[in-house]
Amino acid sequence: MYGRIGLVLIALVAALVWFLPSYYTGLLTQIGLYALVTIGLNLFMGYAGQVSLGHAAFFGIGAYTSAALAVKAHVTPWAGMIAGAIVAALIAYALSFVALRLRENLLALATLALGIVINVVFNQWEFIGGSSGFKDIPPFAIGSFAFDQRADAILAWVLVAAGIWFAGNLVRSTFGRALIAISAGELGAQALAVDAERLKRQTFVLSAVFAGVAGSVYASQQSYIDPGSFSFLLSVNFVLMSVIGGLRSLWGAVIGAAIVVVLGQLLQAYVPVFLPSARGDFQQFFLGVILIAMLILLPRGITSRFSEARSA
Amino acid sequence: MMASLWQYVLAGVVVGAIYALIAAGFVLIYQVTGLINFAQGEFAMIGAMTAASLATNGMRPLEAAAIAVAVAAVTGAVCYVLAIRPARASTGVTLIFITLGLDVALRGLGLFVWGTNPLSLNAFSGGASISVFGGVLPPQALWVLLTDVVVFGALYVFFRHTYAGTAVRAAVANPPIASTFGIPLRTFAFWSFVAAAAIGGLGGVVVAPITSATYDMGLTLGLAGFVAAVLGGLDSLPGALVGGFVLGIVEKVAGGLLSTGWEEGVGFLILVLVLVLRPQGLLGRAVRRA
Repeated sequence: MYGRIGLVLIALVAALVWFLPSYYTGLLTQIGLYALVTIGLNLFMGYAGQVSLGHAAFFGIGAYTSAALAVKAHVTPWAGMIAGAIVAALIAYALSFVALRLRENLLALATLALGIVINVVFNQWEFIGGSSGFKDIPPFAIGSFAFDQRADAILAWVLVAAGIWFAGNLVRSTFGRALIAISAGELGAQALAVDAERLKRQTFVLSAVFAGVAGSVYASQQSYIDPGSFSFLLSVNFVLMSVIGGLRSLWGAVIGAAIVVVLGQLLQAYVPVFLPSARGDFQQFFLGVILIAMLILLPRGITSRFSEARSA
Repeated sequence: MMASLWQYVLAGVVVGAIYALIAAGFVLIYQVTGLINFAQGEFAMIGAMTAASLATNGMRPLEAAAIAVAVAAVTGAVCYVLAIRPARASTGVTLIFITLGLDVALRGLGLFVWGTNPLSLNAFSGGASISVFGGVLPPQALWVLLTDVVVFGALYVFFRHTYAGTAVRAAVANPPIASTFGIPLRTFAFWSFVAAAAIGGLGGVVVAPITSATYDMGLTLGLAGFVAAVLGGLDSLPGALVGGFVLGIVEKVAGGLLSTGWEEGVGFLILVLVLVLRPQGLLGRAVRRA
C-alpha cells in the first residue's frame, strides 16, 4: 500500500509543478525534504521510542558533504547524495556509542548538545566555508539537463515515496515489531531476545541516512548553505513535524512536514495584517503553542484520528 | 599571557554566576518533578526584557527589577498550570516535548511583545571598573555575584532550616512515602516552577546591563544553564553553583585561547563528556533513570 500511494503522490507532484508558480514549487520541495527527515525521525522516536533534538545536524552533514564535494572536487550531486548519506551514517554510528547509552531526559540533552557541537564545527571549520558557508552549489543534472525547480520537487517526492516504501516495509517486519517492543520497555524487549542496543543503533543510523539524503538534495536545490540553516531551531521544527503528524506514523511525517511549512508561511503572510508590529520568526510562538496543545489533547498526532476511525 | 588568562577567568566568573542562577532553576524543577525544563532560559529573557523596557520608559532600576522578577514568576506559574499540569500523566518524552514547545512559544511571545531590537539596561550602580589583581571587572559584576550569594543563601536556609524546605526534601527523597505523610507533591511542583522562573528572571535582570537584552537571549542562557546543571549534578543545588562557575571559566578561557566562536562548542563538549563519564555530575548523588 505504501508503494502505490507513493507512486500516486509522485504523479500528483509531477502534475502540480506544471501549474504552480515557482514559489509554491519551492515550498513543495521543502515539504518533501523535511518529510524525508521526519520519516527517519519517526522510526527513531515514534517506533523505537527514543528522542533526538539534534537531527538538523545530520541534515546539515548531508548538505555540507555534497556541497563540499561538488564545489571543491566537482563531484556530481548524485554521488554527493550517496556520500552525504554515508558520512551522516558514519557520524551517527560513532555518536550512537555516546548518545544511545542514555535515556529520555539525558538522551534529549545529549542529542541536543551533539547537534550544537556539530553546528559550531560548521561555523568554525574554514575548509567548509566557516560562517559564510557554501554558495554556487551546482544543481542535479541528467546528461545536459540541469534540474530546475520542478525537477527538484519531483526528485524530492520520489525520495519521499521511496523512503516511505522502505520504512513502511521495515516497520511491518520483525525489525519494526522489535522496535515497538523496545519503546514499550527495553528490559521487556531484551527478555524477548531483542538486542535493543543494536536495533536502536541501526535505527539511529538509518534516521541519519534519511536526513543526510534530504540535506544533500537541499544543498543543490538552494545552491547556498550556511550554518544557520541547520541550527537547533530546525531540530525543534523536525520534532514539531513529527509530533503534529503523529510520532508512530509514516504518512504522519509527510502531513506534519506539510502542516508546519504551510502554517509557517500562512502565519508569516497573515499575522502582520492584524498585528503590524509582528516581525521575524514570530510564527514560532504559534508553533510552540500548537506543539503543547497537540501533546495534551492529541498526543499521538493528527493521523491517530484516522486510524482510530478506521479501527472503530 | 598570564594577565590575559586571568582576565578570561574573571570574565568566566561573571557569566558563570549567571549560569549558576539558571542552573539552580533547572535543579529545583528537576528535583521536585523529575522534569528537565527546556524553557528555563526564557524566564531569564522575560526578566531581562521586562526590566529593560520598563527602565527605558523611565522607571527606577530597582522597581523595574522587582516587577520583572514578578512577571517572570507569574509566567512560570502560567506555564505550569496551562502546559505541564494537564500533561502530568504523560510519559517522559512527551513532557520533554512540552517544555520544548514552551521554550519556542515563550521566545515567540518575546518577539511579539518586544520586537527584534536589543534593549539596554543601565548598570545598577555607576562607578569605575573594579581592578582585581591586575584584571578588570565591570561594576555590574558585583551585583551579579551578590545576587548569587543572596539566592543560593536563601535556598540553603529554606531547604535546611525551614519546615517547608524539609518537606520538599522529603518529597524529593521519596515521593510516594512523602505523599502518605500528607506532603502535597503537586503544590510543590507548582511552586518549583514559580521559584525557578523567579530565579531565572532575576538572572536575566542582573545580566541585562552586561549583555543587553534581546528576545532570543534565552536560548543561549538556557542551554548554558543546563550544561552547568548537568555538570554539577542535576539533583544538587551546590552542584548548580559549582557547575555554573566551572562552565563559565572554561568557556571564557577556551574562547580566549581559541576563538570566541568555540565557546558554546566547548560547553557542549563538556556536557557530552559528563553525560558519558559521570552522568550524576560533579556533586550529584545518584543517577535517576527518569
